Amino acid sequence: MIKIDINKKLHGASGDMNLSVSLSVKDNEFVALSGKSGSGKTTLLRILAGLEESDGVIEVDGEVWQNSKRSLSPQKRRIGFVFQDYALFPNMSVLENLLYVVKDRNLAERLLEITELRELRNRLPNTLSGGQKQRVSLCRAMMNRPKLLLMDEPLSALDSEMRMKLQREIKVLHEEFGTTTIMVSHDASEIYRLASRVVVLDVGKVINDGTPKDVLLKTSGSQKFSFEGELLDIVKVDVIYIAIISIAQQLVEVVVSSEESKQLIIGQKVSVSTKAFTPIINQ
Amino acid sequence: MSMINANITEIQSVDSLNIVSFDFLGTTLKMMSLDLNAEMQVGRKVVLNVKPFHITIVKEFYGDISYSNKLNAVVKSCENGELLSSVKLLVNGVVFESIITKELALKMELKIGDNVIVMIKANDLSIQEVLND
Repeated sequence: MIKIDINKKLHGASGDMNLSVSLSVKDNEFVALSGKSGSGKTTLLRILAGLEESDGVIEVDGEVWQNSKRSLSPQKRRIGFVFQDYALFPNMSVLENLLYVVKDRNLAERLLEITELRELRNRLPNTLSGGQKQRVSLCRAMMNRPKLLLMDEPLSALDSEMRMKLQREIKVLHEEFGTTTIMVSHDASEIYRLASRVVVLDVGKVINDGTPKDVLLKTSGSQKFSFEGELLDIVKVDVIYIAIISIAQQLVEVVVSSEESKQLIIGQKVSVSTKAFTPIINQ
Repeated sequence: MSMINANITEIQSVDSLNIVSFDFLGTTLKMMSLDLNAEMQVGRKVVLNVKPFHITIVKEFYGDISYSNKLNAVVKSCENGELLSSVKLLVNGVVFESIITKELALKMELKIGDNVIVMIKANDLSIQEVLND
């Protein structure tokens, strides 16, 4: 069990804010940390890792990592950290990068096997693709058998195919090692595949905490198929009106009645929804 | 989802709004649609689809009703779940599926071999794909 109860004043782009988070994370839990940029997600990870100071308490399995009297150094906290930008030692081979953490050759070989990197064990990082480098960082983060694995948008620089492959490997690693994990992610499909819980931060506070489906499923009344968009235009055709709406870089059209059209203002944010029974899925 | 092979026989248009007529083995079907693709033209073969939730089953119907599409059908099977029933219907040899509440399926006493009418509103019908000749 990990108990987090921390406070820190932050000076962000949109003024000062107070990062104030109180969370309990169960053993083996996989938590996705989500929220707008500047909401304090990365700072929270860095505080957990001991890379930034804060007020409050962090306790891991009864061991105090931080309280008002002391704070363990990052090296003494049993954490693994995976950054977006790999942070590998460029002058060491893949295997040496892993063994630098702990000289446990069996564990290194097992991790390289799970992530299909065994053939590349003697290569230098700069000869690897982005996906391969991130798999090396992931293996390296697992080398000291961390109590807590922290990942800061680890897959956001990768293309979608490589992201799916790494998601599968992260899942296998999580199932095999049972490491309690906190991962910053904005990707709904990634969160749904990997996490058992989503915590949403906004301006330094937890505003939502629940299962991926409870938190991410956009609903509007009984409508389960719901998107936010911007109303661009309303065109009258015959006795009906067509609302043209931009949603996630696409345009969609929705037919509305004369009465409905009178309520709408061009340029406003709207939500477009329908019941789950109506949409057709094409492959 | 029910898939229906049909031919486009007529397209009526006002600006971006269209009413498209199809021939489905001698029966006329009508579809309401916004802009059509360039390949959707009179004479083209298409596959139409309709979700099972949008298919209405009618027994012993008299009078007028604002459904454009009315098709004679025979009940092929009726599978009852806890709350819903999946009714398979044969129309011109093609299988349509309608999902209705179980309560209604029992009340209507739907049995295999029953002659019924299948009704679909013109806005619930859509073109799945245009086939190459």
